[in-house]
Amino acid sequence: MSFTQFVFFVFAAVAVLSAAAVITLRNPVHAVLSLVLTFFSTAALWLLAEAEFLGITLVLVYVGAVMVLFLFVVMMLDINIARMREGFARYLPFGLVVALIMGAELVLYVLSRAPDVAPPAPAAAGYSNTQALGEALYTQYLYPFEIAAAILLVSIIAAIALTLRRRPDTKYLNPAEQIRVRRAERVRLVKMKSES
Amino acid sequence: MQSTLWNDLAAALPELWMLGAVCFVLVFDLFVPAARRDLTYWLVQATLAGALVFTVAGHDGGRTLAFGGHYVVDEMAVLLKSAIYLVAGAVFLYSRPYLKDRGLFRGEYFVLGLFGVLGMMIMVSAHSFVSLYLGLELLALSQYAMVAFFRDSLPASEAAMKYFVLGALASGMLLYGMSVLYGTVGSLDIATVANALSQEEGRSAFALFGLVFVVVGIAFKFGAVPFHMWVPDVYDGAPTSVTLYIGSAPKIAAFAMLMRLLSESLGPLTGDWGQLLAVLLVLSMAVGNIIAIAQRRIKRMLAYSTISHVGFLFFGVMAGTQEGYAAAMFYAIVYAAMAAGAFGMLLLMSRQGYEPEHIDDFKGLNERHPWLAFLMLLLMFSMAGIPPTVGFYAKLAVIQAAVNVGEVWIAVYAVVLSVIGAFYYLRVVKYMYFDKPEESHPVQPGMDAQVIMGINGLAMLALGVFPGGLMALCLRAVGY
Amino acid sequence: MENVYLAIPLAPLAGAIVAGLFGKAIGRRGAHTVTILGVAVAFALSLVVFKHHVLDGASVHNAAVYTWGVSEGLRMEVGFLIDNLTALMLVVVTFVSLMVHIYTIGYMHDDPGYQRFFSYIALFTFSMLMLVMSNNFLQLFFGWEAVGLVSYLLIGFWYTRESAIFANLKAFLVNRVGDFGFILGIAAIVMATHSLDYATVFGQADRLAGETISIFAGREWSLITVICLLLFVGAMGKSAQMPLHVWLPDSMEGPTPISALIHAATMVTAGVFMVARMSPLFEYSEVALGVVLVIGALTAFFMGLVGVVQNDIKRVIAYSTLSQLGYMTAALGASAYAAGIFHLMTHAFFKALLFLAAGSVIIALHHEQDMRKMGGLRRYMPITFWTSVVGSLALAGIPGLAGFFSKDTIIEAIHLSEAPGAGLAYWLVLLSVFVTALYTFRLLFLVFFGEPRMDAHTREHLHESPKVVTVPLVLLAIPSVISGYLVGWVAFGDYFGGAIVVHEAHDVLGELAREYHGVWGFMLHGMMAPPFWLALAGIATAWVFFHWRPELAEAARLTLRPVYVVLERKYGFDELYLFLFAGGARRVGRFLWQWGDARLIDGLLVNGAARTVGWVAARVRGMQTGYLYHYAFAMIIGLILLLARYLYAA
Repeated sequence: MSFTQFVFFVFAAVAVLSAAAVITLRNPVHAVLSLVLTFFSTAALWLLAEAEFLGITLVLVYVGAVMVLFLFVVMMLDINIARMREGFARYLPFGLVVALIMGAELVLYVLSRAPDVAPPAPAAAGYSNTQALGEALYTQYLYPFEIAAAILLVSIIAAIALTLRRRPDTKYLNPAEQIRVRRAERVRLVKMKSES
Repeated sequence: MQSTLWNDLAAALPELWMLGAVCFVLVFDLFVPAARRDLTYWLVQATLAGALVFTVAGHDGGRTLAFGGHYVVDEMAVLLKSAIYLVAGAVFLYSRPYLKDRGLFRGEYFVLGLFGVLGMMIMVSAHSFVSLYLGLELLALSQYAMVAFFRDSLPASEAAMKYFVLGALASGMLLYGMSVLYGTVGSLDIATVANALSQEEGRSAFALFGLVFVVVGIAFKFGAVPFHMWVPDVYDGAPTSVTLYIGSAPKIAAFAMLMRLLSESLGPLTGDWGQLLAVLLVLSMAVGNIIAIAQRRIKRMLAYSTISHVGFLFFGVMAGTQEGYAAAMFYAIVYAAMAAGAFGMLLLMSRQGYEPEHIDDFKGLNERHPWLAFLMLLLMFSMAGIPPTVGFYAKLAVIQAAVNVGEVWIAVYAVVLSVIGAFYYLRVVKYMYFDKPEESHPVQPGMDAQVIMGINGLAMLALGVFPGGLMALCLRAVGY
Repeated sequence: MENVYLAIPLAPLAGAIVAGLFGKAIGRRGAHTVTILGVAVAFALSLVVFKHHVLDGASVHNAAVYTWGVSEGLRMEVGFLIDNLTALMLVVVTFVSLMVHIYTIGYMHDDPGYQRFFSYIALFTFSMLMLVMSNNFLQLFFGWEAVGLVSYLLIGFWYTRESAIFANLKAFLVNRVGDFGFILGIAAIVMATHSLDYATVFGQADRLAGETISIFAGREWSLITVICLLLFVGAMGKSAQMPLHVWLPDSMEGPTPISALIHAATMVTAGVFMVARMSPLFEYSEVALGVVLVIGALTAFFMGLVGVVQNDIKRVIAYSTLSQLGYMTAALGASAYAAGIFHLMTHAFFKALLFLAAGSVIIALHHEQDMRKMGGLRRYMPITFWTSVVGSLALAGIPGLAGFFSKDTIIEAIHLSEAPGAGLAYWLVLLSVFVTALYTFRLLFLVFFGEPRMDAHTREHLHESPKVVTVPLVLLAIPSVISGYLVGWVAFGDYFGGAIVVHEAHDVLGELAREYHGVWGFMLHGMMAPPFWLALAGIATAWVFFHWRPELAEAARLTLRPVYVVLERKYGFDELYLFLFAGGARRVGRFLWQWGDARLIDGLLVNGAARTVGWVAARVRGMQTGYLYHYAFAMIIGLILLLARYLYAA
């Protein structure tokens, strides 16, 4: 076993275990942190596979931005963990069995006739992963790239359309309206006889 | 290089037009006062019409690849896209009064709807796993948002949540399957994959492994048993206009995905995925038809009916012959039209503060609005597959194709289950014609909706009597 | 001539339609006028045809009148085949029918169903004519079924009588058994030759004879034997051969004219006619001929015996009919087709005569049919008596009368025959001669001789029947005497020409013909042959037992009690059929109804299927729990199952 393989297995093991921890830990903050660990390990695996740009992007985007945001959300929400974990123990054995079968099937498939793919030759020195990716994205994969952009646009529209609302119960001031107010709208003169 | 790009752009003109128009509508709608929002609606219809023109007129009759093999225009793409535009146009038309009555008549609904159409177009024209997957996601994302669009409705939010989570799961499986195939073949291009798989050594167990996941992804999109669980809940929970949307045109796109993936790229494995489809279709027909009988809610009933129709559609594909593909394509298009009509009928019968929810609400429709009752009768007959409506011919074509390759027993099974299925369709007809109305409020759909529904309903009859034209188009689309 | 052919069946049909549909409007007179006119026209034209074909020797006419349908080359037509056989049948049928029509005016005088009755018998005449004139199997089958239908309607003519309904149902069911065989036979012919036309089929008989058919796996049967036996099953039903004879005695529930016309003279002979018509086929099958011969002989003897113990006047004649039909059938089996047809003709005359005479007696006694309550009638009804004597002598086979010639020919033919079972058949028919004479003269003595045994009131009103009754009797008595003298021409001569085919080896009549030297020689020879002496013995026995010493009959009855009971019970056929077939069918039917229909089909399959679907739907519906994780789980399970499918394959 070469050192590379050793490193691979270490990170792979960490990734699997931390992924398991995400769904088993009771504290949601811990779960999110486990997920961060999973991403880290995965990024490390990608580095091993000479996909440096992707590995770094994973850390920067997912760990740095998405997961931190996620952590904020989890911390701010008051999640009733006890209720959410109801039935966990009850379903656990069944779930485990299914998971085992699934895993066994995966393994069997791989063992049965895994394609004999030789690892690609290491890239030459000075080969820029980033550049290659960029070139591929803007030439060969231009069309999918643009579609991805459209998907992002849709998600933005969807997010706004679903969350932007003028709730009737919130009290906020509109200065423009305040300035444009007229006297007649605020004061009403009432004529009445004096009581005397 | 320059000229290549221009050629690519010219080939993808309908998609470009659609994307540009959607962005325009999005911005335009911001400056349109609420009272004049009909303008947005007409702009949407114009967008669809324009796309139809570009699609049909821009096609030179051949097969063009563009964008480095990610995009393809062929007979099938043109036919299915045209069908999608027409169905989507009808969907928007039926939806307008309904949305207005419920305060949902907003630009975003149409924008999301058009983005969904764009996603379908991309799926139909996809020639690589990536573009196919992205088109699917574009469509799915729009649909998730549309289901949740009625924010104050608890069932709608729940439905959206379920749809989203399960859809993500299914997407993940599809993507996993695609990546496994990429791992075995080394390409995402549909033609290249097919090429590699047709070699003996390409047909490894690993490819089959990927195949299973791909089939699961497709089955989810169609709502085939056991990946159907979302269908009734989403159909029932979503606002009816959205149900109409997701219940009709996307089936055509899903069929395109099925064809691109199974027939064009995994064609060499026909015998293998044919068996998977056989399992799915047998389950779908049984579950769809049998559970539909127990439903009292009309949208749930139609949801289960969808599941059973998916079984039939798979039956045609399962044959793995050109004839079978053409029959299934015919079925998909006809089904989209039937579903548009049936769900549209619910919208037409709705009014401020009321919409038909139960089958009982159809009682005595004949006395309240004979024309709509007659059209509904045609639609139900067609769904049940009673001659001379087109539903019969569609089923016949599928069964014929399957019997030609020796699938006699499944054909018998399919016939038996469609007989069972006829029960719940005919129950609606019975309620309409033989029961007293429980409601006296007049049904007053708009004139445009009545006319289009009339065309929609009568088309079931006309296509049933003269199926030759559409069938010829389908046969040409599969290169027969 | 073609128009003449067409007019023959259509004239009675027109009468039937007018009388049937407009019976009320045209009244009784109108009804019998129009139908008798129709039948009279048919009779006159039949004579024309007879002259044209038989006397003037016109060639055989075989042509289609109307093509009903063509299916994959199989032509279904209405067509006529007119040859000497048809011509003879036409004359016999229309003549007897005409007599019966006239007679009916008197017999049915007081019946409320007068018009209906005339309509039926005219319709029967039409059907019978279609049957005999047919040139193809389809029309033959049509006529066959149509006469069966009319027979059914007429047996149950007095439909308020329980026994009449029972009898017509029985006739219908038993005939159905025969018709089933018949239609199977036709189907086999169509299958083998792909044609319904006689000429085409007969043309291929040679080829069929060489072919075999495998009905049950591993058993090769001669195709022509199967066809002939199936056709003969049809003949057995219609011509009441054992064991399908049980309906005929019961059919006497119908009015007497019907018994004369349908159940003695014409319809029941359809089977005999059909077999004769099919002689080109039957000739190729030794087995079928043997079966026909033995069945006929058995029927002739055993049914005659039953006639001896019957007390109902009509039933005696009915069993006599059965016995005589047995003679005809046996003749067919011996390849003496001409003799069979000849006997058919003579029998039609004298049996119709006997029936009508019996009818005359019955009206005179106010519908009393029990012979034990008759006697001494010769003084009151001389015409009826003398015609009856003629009929009885003819039936008994006394030389000089019609029955002698035809029956003697048959017996001689069977004697010469070498068909399988001919030895047994010969003895049976020989003994039958004695039996025939016995029951015939028993009837004669009991009815017309001795002391009157009816009550005083009836006796005071006894008188001869009206002219419409006695004239037909006389007219029928004439051919009962003279038609026998045609024996040399019809039976031994070349009367039938190509209509009947007899192979060289079977040609018993040809052999007899060589020894035939005129009727007188034939009669002289007959007087020295055993049948004549047996007949005389029969008459003598009848005289001793039923006239001279009636107490001997009583004594014999007691002594031979077991035999008597067996005969009285008609060998138990009725009881057996009632228990086995009728009862069995009803038991099976009740089982199928209660278990098969009510429980299995209605309960389990129809309602059960609906209920099961509903039940399953309600259960399966529960799968849709609404829980997201259940849904996701279902997907995973589905995935695992689909994966497993390939894991196995891999």
